[in-house]
Amino acid sequence: MTDLTELPILSIILVTPLIGLLVILLLPKHRNRWLQTAAIIATLIPLVLSFWLYADYDKHQGGSSYEETATWVEVPLNKETQASNGVTSYTLSFQYELGIDGLSLPLIILTTLITAMAAFASIHVKKRWKAFYAWFLLLEVGVLGVFMARDLFLFFIFFEVTLIAMYFLIGIWGYFNRERAANQFVIYNGLGSAIMLIAFILLVNTAGFHIDQGTSSFIYSGSYADILRNLSDPTAWVNVAPDQTGGLNPFHMSDAMHTVIFLLLVVAFGIKLPILPFHTWMLKVHNEAHPAIVMIHSGVLLKMGAYGLIRFGIVLFPEQAKDWAVVLASLGLASLLYGALVAFRQTELKLVLAYSSISHMGIVLLGLAAFNEIGLQGAVFQLVSHGLISALLFLIVGSLYERTKTTTLSELGGLARPMPFISGILLAGGLASLGLPGLSGFVGEFLSLLGLFDSQPWLAGFAVIGVILTAVYLLRAVLKTTFGPVDERYLAVKDARLIEALPMIVLLAFILLLGCYPSVLTDTFHYSVDGVFKPLFSLRMGG
Amino acid sequence: MDQFTQTAWLIPLFPFAAFLLLTALGRSYRRAGVMIGSVGALAALVMSLLVFFERLDPDAVDYSEGFNWITLGDYTLKIGFEVTNLNSLMLIIVTLVSFLVNVYSAGYMKKDERITVFYGYVALFTFAMLGLVLSDNMLVFYIFWELVGVCSFLLVGFWYAKPAARAAAKKAFIVTRIGDAGLLLGIIVLFWYMPGHALDFSSIHNVFSEGQSGAITMSITTSIALLLFMGVIGKSGQFPLHVWLPDAMEGPTPISALIHAATMVAAGVFLLARTFDIFEASAAAMHTVAYFGGFTAIFAAMVALAQNDIKRILAYSTISQLGYMVMAMGLGSMTGGIFHLFTHAFFKALLFLAAGSVIHAVHTQNIHEMGGLGSKMRITAWTFGIGALSLSGIPPFSGFWSKDAILASALDENPFLFVVGLAAAFCTALYMSRLFFIVFMGKSSVRQPREVRESSKSMTIPLLVLAVLSVGAGFVETPWNGWLGSWLTGGGEEVHASAAAIIASIAVGVLGIYVGWLMYGKGSIERGAAAAKAPWLANLLERQYYINEFYDLVIVRSVRGIGKSLAAFDEYVIGGAVRFFGFATVTGGRMLTRMNNGQTQVFGLTAVIGLLVIIAVIVGRRFW
Amino acid sequence: MLPSYLTMAAILFCIGLYGALVKRNAVIVLLSIELMLNAVNLNLVAFSKYGVVPSLTGQIFALFTITVAAAEAAVGVAVLIALFRARGTVNVDEFDEMRR
Repeated sequence: MTDLTELPILSIILVTPLIGLLVILLLPKHRNRWLQTAAIIATLIPLVLSFWLYADYDKHQGGSSYEETATWVEVPLNKETQASNGVTSYTLSFQYELGIDGLSLPLIILTTLITAMAAFASIHVKKRWKAFYAWFLLLEVGVLGVFMARDLFLFFIFFEVTLIAMYFLIGIWGYFNRERAANQFVIYNGLGSAIMLIAFILLVNTAGFHIDQGTSSFIYSGSYADILRNLSDPTAWVNVAPDQTGGLNPFHMSDAMHTVIFLLLVVAFGIKLPILPFHTWMLKVHNEAHPAIVMIHSGVLLKMGAYGLIRFGIVLFPEQAKDWAVVLASLGLASLLYGALVAFRQTELKLVLAYSSISHMGIVLLGLAAFNEIGLQGAVFQLVSHGLISALLFLIVGSLYERTKTTTLSELGGLARPMPFISGILLAGGLASLGLPGLSGFVGEFLSLLGLFDSQPWLAGFAVIGVILTAVYLLRAVLKTTFGPVDERYLAVKDARLIEALPMIVLLAFILLLGCYPSVLTDTFHYSVDGVFKPLFSLRMGG
Repeated sequence: MDQFTQTAWLIPLFPFAAFLLLTALGRSYRRAGVMIGSVGALAALVMSLLVFFERLDPDAVDYSEGFNWITLGDYTLKIGFEVTNLNSLMLIIVTLVSFLVNVYSAGYMKKDERITVFYGYVALFTFAMLGLVLSDNMLVFYIFWELVGVCSFLLVGFWYAKPAARAAAKKAFIVTRIGDAGLLLGIIVLFWYMPGHALDFSSIHNVFSEGQSGAITMSITTSIALLLFMGVIGKSGQFPLHVWLPDAMEGPTPISALIHAATMVAAGVFLLARTFDIFEASAAAMHTVAYFGGFTAIFAAMVALAQNDIKRILAYSTISQLGYMVMAMGLGSMTGGIFHLFTHAFFKALLFLAAGSVIHAVHTQNIHEMGGLGSKMRITAWTFGIGALSLSGIPPFSGFWSKDAILASALDENPFLFVVGLAAAFCTALYMSRLFFIVFMGKSSVRQPREVRESSKSMTIPLLVLAVLSVGAGFVETPWNGWLGSWLTGGGEEVHASAAAIIASIAVGVLGIYVGWLMYGKGSIERGAAAAKAPWLANLLERQYYINEFYDLVIVRSVRGIGKSLAAFDEYVIGGAVRFFGFATVTGGRMLTRMNNGQTQVFGLTAVIGLLVIIAVIVGRRFW
Repeated sequence: MLPSYLTMAAILFCIGLYGALVKRNAVIVLLSIELMLNAVNLNLVAFSKYGVVPSLTGQIFALFTITVAAAEAAVGVAVLIALFRARGTVNVDEFDEMRR
């Protein structure tokens, strides 16, 4: 067996959907079956590779061998030397830098899994297949890139790629108000990206550099490793006040600036997550986009917000995160209860699920704000678990809509009779979502609350109310759909076909696996916790 | 020598395997389905009996084994099983009733097209309940606790097309979920305060049995105990979360017998027994438990007097008897509580299955549409009678002994609760005799009396087995023989024996039956006499104290109202703010467009305004 | 003494600015511009006499300005006449050529 570490496995995963995209561009546009097969294959290969990555990862226990670097853009800067330590030249250099750790690996697997399943669910797409699958694969590239990028500008570019791909996917293949939803999506998220860009530029300007000792050249870059090293080193320029060095230090980042950047990052990623007041755009997306797209959106794209919040907000600014933990936790609690209560009054199944996403993302925030390993583990677990569950639920919504032509709760009912399989899976998905032990939702919820109790017991106490409310609104929606007397219109509808049932079973199997044996995920993440997050937690104990 | 004990983890796997097989096979294999389910339960029963016989050895030590489920840095969450005397007793109860219900359902559910689904659910429930019984720590316990809840939900809503079944299933899940939330929080608190973050029952025992000198303060102990008790209230149908249990009777009757009488609802009492040391460490918690139990016992028994649905009467009776068990726990008599759980499982399962037999024959649940069935359904009538006598606390039936054990300890500990218990016992005897006389004696008011005949063998044999147990099960613990108590607690607990309690207990039981006979059997007291004297009370009881209406008014509507107003807030305030920003941007853009009208003077004006802004900024910086 | 000159000049400038921005007749606009230029001249002269560093340069500069203003007025009026011939009006509102 060849040594896996010699292959640029991350780039291979990233490029496979792109190759698939090229193939699709070459195929004739009316051949739906060919196009879909190509898309499924192009999503299955990264899926297999990412599992290979997982199997190999445990052996390396830190994932450091999976870093790939190549210089992407290099611009020499004509700037007069200011420092006295022998720097002779300045360079602006952006790297094509990929890497994974225990935080990104689960999300990469989640992405490849859910996109593959969404490719199956795309059989319900009715028009312009070629363009659909092209954007679809581009979206996967973008999401995978976001989770792999180790350079701020690379990250930003991948982030924007997802935005554009989603814009067309919502705007062309959605339901009636699709264009409005797409516009709102792209403007709202564009705003978030702009805020993120400001924060990134500030970061690169103050902490994003290193000095190449060989050529004594001063290199500005967006490298995450540089920024993390500079920010966490108390003797780095970024942390030394000008009066201590005798006047000039353009790199110094004051405490106020720390807080500002942290808050910018919270808002930027909070829009994506979404945190409470920034959620309206995602309701429209959930309601208007094609279910296969919502699977990816709700299952993976929302996770980019949490991922960014952890990777940039909390890891880079642990002190600020600690100071604001109560605020984050309160926002999380508010999202949890608010989402649940509003979901309870929705008359549209898709909106119930949309608000349930808000509610579940609140739990993620609670876990993060716990600021200890249990809470963080819970938050990451909840991310993966919610990804799987909401993908499953929207997969079902897609199949339901194909049969009933409506997803309004008052018009549904008794569907367990004509389609027991789909109804059973819907019930299982609902139970997983409301945190039934044995299914993955419980573990994330439990660990988040368990962690939160240690730091903020009262908030954890209130958060438990969310456990009840979640059951209330989910059972209402699920039972209204599947139980009760069946409408004559639906007596003749058929149960799931094999190609529909397959992704449902796969997703449910993963939900069960994570619920019964959560160590497959928590152990992987634990390796990174040791390296990256341990300092954060010791910070808390000390202060 | 304790080889079966070490492999006790296999017991839940038999029904689980049955569940998997039944799910995989689908609906077509009807007879095979019944066989698979029953064989799974039978295997579990045999295995449980083997374990139980090993536990009878006085030298048997508790055995537990587990593995790490999640490792989180310095913390570990474990999963494992444990066999103690208490567990093995519960194993017997669960597997036996489950097996009998499997057999019974072959007849009862024969015509249902989803019978294999039914057997699958029952097997899943049996698996979950056995897992709950065998669990060695609070986390595993909670996991299975929720799983049995879901199985109960699935089975209550088994006839999903009926809106009533849908509502009942939803209610059962949500109301117990309220208690479960408390239990979950209790486990979280326990995790952080226990030394070494251990959640297993033996550590809990070690920490709390030391008394207050231990690592955990009194107030924390009390709050943990009360949070755990919330779970008990939800699951065991104690006031004020009892409302789901009567509605749960929408499920098939064998399910009412298995889940809502014998096993799952008793899980709360089992939890009390497993964490008894926490409760004992806090006097306040013990009092709360005792008073909640006592109140529930008398409260539910009174409601049962005025109900007309045979299953509803039995459901309220179950609530009342669970109240007895909880009260016993609160009074410090763990043996009494578990003993009553043990006997109650048999006679209440018997009563439900017999009621199911009646319902199967007459196709109604209203007792006033029955009557005179005793002659047509002899086995059912006789076995029901045995169950009723046992429930009413008439010696030598098993219910008498366990009820007496509770009343004797109540007399020692808290005379007030003793009186409450006696009153509840009187009501119990009264409503059981009312039920028995109306259904089995007197004139028939069945619409098609000719079709009424005794149920098939598969239904009557379980009745007979349970009847034998209802008679005999009481002799494991009598006032002069404390075998069960010493076996359960390792000989720690003294036997409460009191002639006064025995006499009083027998007296109220007999009195209750006599009054019932006068009113409903002989008819010498007008049936409506009591109701006529206090119509408000009769109405109150018949409507179950209007608690459902109260909850609907106060909780359901307020949650709905909050949800509705928040939804409006979301739409108009948050959505409005977003729309406003969009509108403001577009309007601002339009206005700026209008500025660009090509007239020199407007350009000049704009330039001047710009200049002023720049000046203001430059000057303003000085003051900033 | 300086503040009163400067105040006078500021008032004149504002009147001129107002006229230049508001009046519709192009001739008056031109006159207003003259007014603004003269306000500036006043400032220049005042500073050359009472400023921190008094010097003749200011007065010479004012002479330059007067010259340039005369030239500007000549060109301005010439443009105006050409416009009037072409469009038949000197109303500033009607000239929005820059928009097209």
